[in-house]
Amino acid sequence: MEEKNGATSKAGDWRSYERVLLPPVRDLHRLEVYEQNGGYEALREVLTSDKWDPTSVTNEVRNSGLRGRGGAGFLTGLKWTFMPPVDPNIPRFLCGNGDESEPGTFKDRQLMEFNPHLIFEGMLIASYAMSITTSYLYVRGEFADWISLMEVELAKAYEKGYVGKNVLGTDFSTDLVIHKGAGAYICGEESSLMISLEGERPYPRAKPPFPAQRGLWNYPTTINNVETLACVPLIINRGGEWFADLGSHRHPGPVLYGISGHVNRPGVYEYPTGMLITDLIYDVAKGMRGSKKLKAVVPGGSSTPILRADQIDGVTMDAETLRDAGSMMGTAGMLIMDEDTDIVSWLRRVTRFYHHESCGQCTPCREGTGWIENIVTRIDEGAGNLRDLDLLIDLCFQMEGRTVCALADAAAWPVRFTIERFRDEFEARCRPSLVPSGGVLTPALGP
Amino acid sequence: MPTVTIDNQEFEFEGNPILLQFCLDHDIELPHFCYHPAMSAPANCRQCLVEIGTPEIDRGTGEPRLDEDGNPVIRFFPKMMTGCSEDISDGMVVKTHRSSELVREAQKDNLEFLLINHPLDCPICDQAGNCPLQIQAYKYGPEGSRFEFRKVSKPKHIELGPRVVLDAERCINCTRCTRFTTEISESHQLTIIERSVWNYPMTPPGVDFDEPYSMNVIDICPVGALTSKDFRFKARVWEMSSTPSITIGNAKGSNCFYWVKDNLVQKVTPRTNMEVNEYWLPDEDRLDYDVFNENRPEGPTIAGQSASWDDAKTAAADLLKNVDANGIVFLGSAFACVEDNYLLGELASALGAAAPSYIQHIEPGAGDGWLITDDKTPNASGCERLGIRPLDATLLRSRIQGGDVKLLYVLQDDPVAAGICEAADLAGVSVILHHTNTTNETLVAANVALPAATVVETVGTFVNQDGHAQRVWPSKAIRGVNRTLSMEIGKSRADKHGTPFDRWFDEDHLVDCQPGWVVIPEIADLLDIELRFKGPRDIMLKVSSENEAFGGATYDAMAEPGVRLVDVGAEV
Amino acid sequence: MTDFIKDPVILMPERHPEPVFSTEELVFTAEETRQIATWVSQYPTADGAIMKVLWMAQEKFGFLPPEVIRLSAGALGMPYARAFGVATFYTQYFKSKKGRYVLDVCTCFSCQICGGYDMLHYLEEKLGAHAGETTDDGLFTIQEVECLGACGSAPMLQITNGPYVMNLTEEKIDALIDALKRDQLPFFSSVTLPQDEDDLGGNRRTDVRDTLTYSAPPVAKTLG
Repeated sequence: MEEKNGATSKAGDWRSYERVLLPPVRDLHRLEVYEQNGGYEALREVLTSDKWDPTSVTNEVRNSGLRGRGGAGFLTGLKWTFMPPVDPNIPRFLCGNGDESEPGTFKDRQLMEFNPHLIFEGMLIASYAMSITTSYLYVRGEFADWISLMEVELAKAYEKGYVGKNVLGTDFSTDLVIHKGAGAYICGEESSLMISLEGERPYPRAKPPFPAQRGLWNYPTTINNVETLACVPLIINRGGEWFADLGSHRHPGPVLYGISGHVNRPGVYEYPTGMLITDLIYDVAKGMRGSKKLKAVVPGGSSTPILRADQIDGVTMDAETLRDAGSMMGTAGMLIMDEDTDIVSWLRRVTRFYHHESCGQCTPCREGTGWIENIVTRIDEGAGNLRDLDLLIDLCFQMEGRTVCALADAAAWPVRFTIERFRDEFEARCRPSLVPSGGVLTPALGP
Repeated sequence: MPTVTIDNQEFEFEGNPILLQFCLDHDIELPHFCYHPAMSAPANCRQCLVEIGTPEIDRGTGEPRLDEDGNPVIRFFPKMMTGCSEDISDGMVVKTHRSSELVREAQKDNLEFLLINHPLDCPICDQAGNCPLQIQAYKYGPEGSRFEFRKVSKPKHIELGPRVVLDAERCINCTRCTRFTTEISESHQLTIIERSVWNYPMTPPGVDFDEPYSMNVIDICPVGALTSKDFRFKARVWEMSSTPSITIGNAKGSNCFYWVKDNLVQKVTPRTNMEVNEYWLPDEDRLDYDVFNENRPEGPTIAGQSASWDDAKTAAADLLKNVDANGIVFLGSAFACVEDNYLLGELASALGAAAPSYIQHIEPGAGDGWLITDDKTPNASGCERLGIRPLDATLLRSRIQGGDVKLLYVLQDDPVAAGICEAADLAGVSVILHHTNTTNETLVAANVALPAATVVETVGTFVNQDGHAQRVWPSKAIRGVNRTLSMEIGKSRADKHGTPFDRWFDEDHLVDCQPGWVVIPEIADLLDIELRFKGPRDIMLKVSSENEAFGGATYDAMAEPGVRLVDVGAEV
Repeated sequence: MTDFIKDPVILMPERHPEPVFSTEELVFTAEETRQIATWVSQYPTADGAIMKVLWMAQEKFGFLPPEVIRLSAGALGMPYARAFGVATFYTQYFKSKKGRYVLDVCTCFSCQICGGYDMLHYLEEKLGAHAGETTDDGLFTIQEVECLGACGSAPMLQITNGPYVMNLTEEKIDALIDALKRDQLPFFSSVTLPQDEDDLGGNRRTDVRDTLTYSAPPVAKTLG
């Protein structure tokens, strides 16, 4: 089926794809409308039908092949099985990660705006599958308006008995709490998110132990992205097999592509995974703005490695293909840049982002992000040296994999890959080196 | 027994040791900054990265998979792991910088990062010479820096509280200090503020870092970010000798080092003893060292006039000779060591006088259940174990006022200041006084004053309120020659830095004083009382063999950690 | 933030600042206290509610001077220092007094290459204040912020941690400033999904006043 449409798209007949995460139903965000359109049926079935118990729900999710939509692309069902056996004396928690702060990513916000109950329902089913009695929906503080909208809908869901004590009259009780962040990219990192919830400075925690062993307040915890959780009711309703058949079979399911940058029609689009990047740019997003030539694509948020225009032919949006192409699926928040884009200036701003958002806990990230911004700034201003480029790559390797969380990696990849893939543009900005890289230099004196 | 292989060497282990601690315990130096054995391990400095592998387990059999040679197949983690956050497991294979180029690179890279924004102001930094960052940068760091930008400039010389000064630029954000205030002292006075490279430890506005244990953060700070307001710029670490000892302001007998330069105590820092004070020392124990440096007597006096030691001892013996034993009151001292008190008791008994008693110095409510105690003396328990009982102050006062007391022999205490009597009350009493400071208010009434060596000048044994017997070494020299002290001082003050700057043989600031275990036997000698010992070591041999309350408390057994004595019922 | 790389100086904090609010002002009402109790019940430990309490306190007092952070921590029985560490970590908690309206202009990533800096510079010139500064009349604070998660609607800004203003143009900024001077905050605007335009013929939400569509971003004149 992957070969059905176009030479290499894995998204099948995507033009006639019918949306499931954001189906075309007016006012679906309202509980009444959501219910009229089969809302909370998956939850009801899971709770009341003999077919389902926590294990079978987890297995269904596992069989669906659902992978996390928050960036790392980990198998969701497998993650759920990491939770230890239930002990009634030990609380267990679920976190819905709606912190969505990865630059270039704006799909979770639209999902929260247009289909919040799907997220709630997904969280409730996940809570049932993992015997969780409290789940937190962590939403970045900037989304204040969307939080307010969701609070209204959540209150309705409580009132209707979908959440709270004895859900739908069964003996399953679970609470759902919306937690508002306050402006910190790091809180999208799962351990940081948990510590933020605990009311401490959200410094990521070393793993292992993993959240399933020691999570929130040191109790077993699972963290999933909100879009991931929104897939769960769909899997229950339509079956894991249906999900697994959608899109790329090793990274299946519907996905919200957030397309931004120099295209005629940016926006959030729902299609199966495995869409050709070229289809997304030239067909879905209606081509390049002003018919300019494509220069580069960042496929899944700022930390995923940039792809040059000549690297995207035949590349589809799924983990395996993107990895082979030298990048990652990330959040599927795609930035499209046209030929006029100054890639050096762009990278400078990216490095500033990571410098500002590093939590400051680990040495390589706290110090490295600032140093990198310094160097890229210098290059951007025409005062860089050729050896700076090698130094930058060196620093990236000094940061990658050496910190508690992956922020250092996320900060290093764009630098390393952008220089690698646009080296000529960086070299054109640099002065020739007077001292070879690694030489001992007289440090520039401060004022 | 389960085993772990570190750099191709196999070790057995028990329980669940932390890899970094295990290495340190086995003399494998693993550079680190943020890890502290008493606190949680945030793994934030990233300096103790090592390669870790574990045996591959065959899913079918549950047994380790073996290679062709029958050795377990080891699967290494894809990334280096921090030793401080990893528990050792059976069959684990670890490569440190001693066997892995990757780890050496990682250590070097990390130190390069640590140093880019660290002011290289070692020449004016108190920590220099004893600084983990300096030492590890020297041993494991890069040769130069590739950083060519302005260093981040952060606030300097902030008085966080009355005793601790912060230089935020030097901070490497290891969070040891904030973890100390949240996990150990629980004062919650410090936090890291801001984030990214902007962050540093601070009190929240309106709060002073004034908790009674604040100065511990100075010791655990792995750089010179937190320094002592009292000690700042007073001496370089290589100019001082440091001697293991105990503090004397509390009955806890917290273990410490006395740092001495020019025969003056410059600072007091904690010495680890898990039986007593673990790693910590209250601020008050660190700042009371003036008693060792200031107002020290300049030799013995007779009736207020300077005298030679021989004359003073003779005068004391004469006084003792000419008084009826019933008229002599011996006051032992909870400030003096077991040896001195023991000798005093022996002297009293030989003279047929009543056994000594000691003045209690108890401030009810001062204690905190930790290292600060109500009892402000170091050796009340030692006195009790010798049979020296607390003084009945009222009784003694009435006896003095009634003229019953003819001679008062005081070992290292101050009955006037303690409110037992007025100096004037002692007009008709002969007073022999071993005093440590000229501020002693009983001194004006002393017929014979014999300057006593303090804890930093003597050798002796102290028993803390929990029954822990600990010996001390002389931290500084006294005027005159004493073979025992010279020997002990030589052992204790071996120059740790191999430099000739230590001035302990210098004549400046030498105090003309004598330990009780020198003076009391000599007075006894003049009275034809046999009270000769080769030295305090022999005294304790005798005491520990005769008195079961001191069983086992020989110098050899006590060494640096001390000996926990048998419980003798209610401790003081 | 902008010139930190050139002049990386972190200033000495005020150790013992004069309180902005009097002790009489520094109280939570009975209703607020009830609200706090509800929040506390949502977490296993009271500390979990600190972010919500700080948000409420910021709403009530306008910003979070130390005494307000202390009040918030006290309401939960949590150490003041910890609450202070939390408050200073997050950018949305205002530790100093801001203008009546805080204009957070996104210049990050997509917004950068779609004219975010053009809008920031226009705003700076229009209001006569740099990013990080407050206008002399105390009405506006301009801030340059990181990605706000509205990349498809670049360039955009957020007003005082509240409404988003998408697809900025100079005219739109002019109108916005005029409206804010009259204390008229923009309404919540929903951005129609392109697929909804095709399938539903417009926005799916009937309960919002303002709808926008995703459209081609402007050409950025400057990137920094």
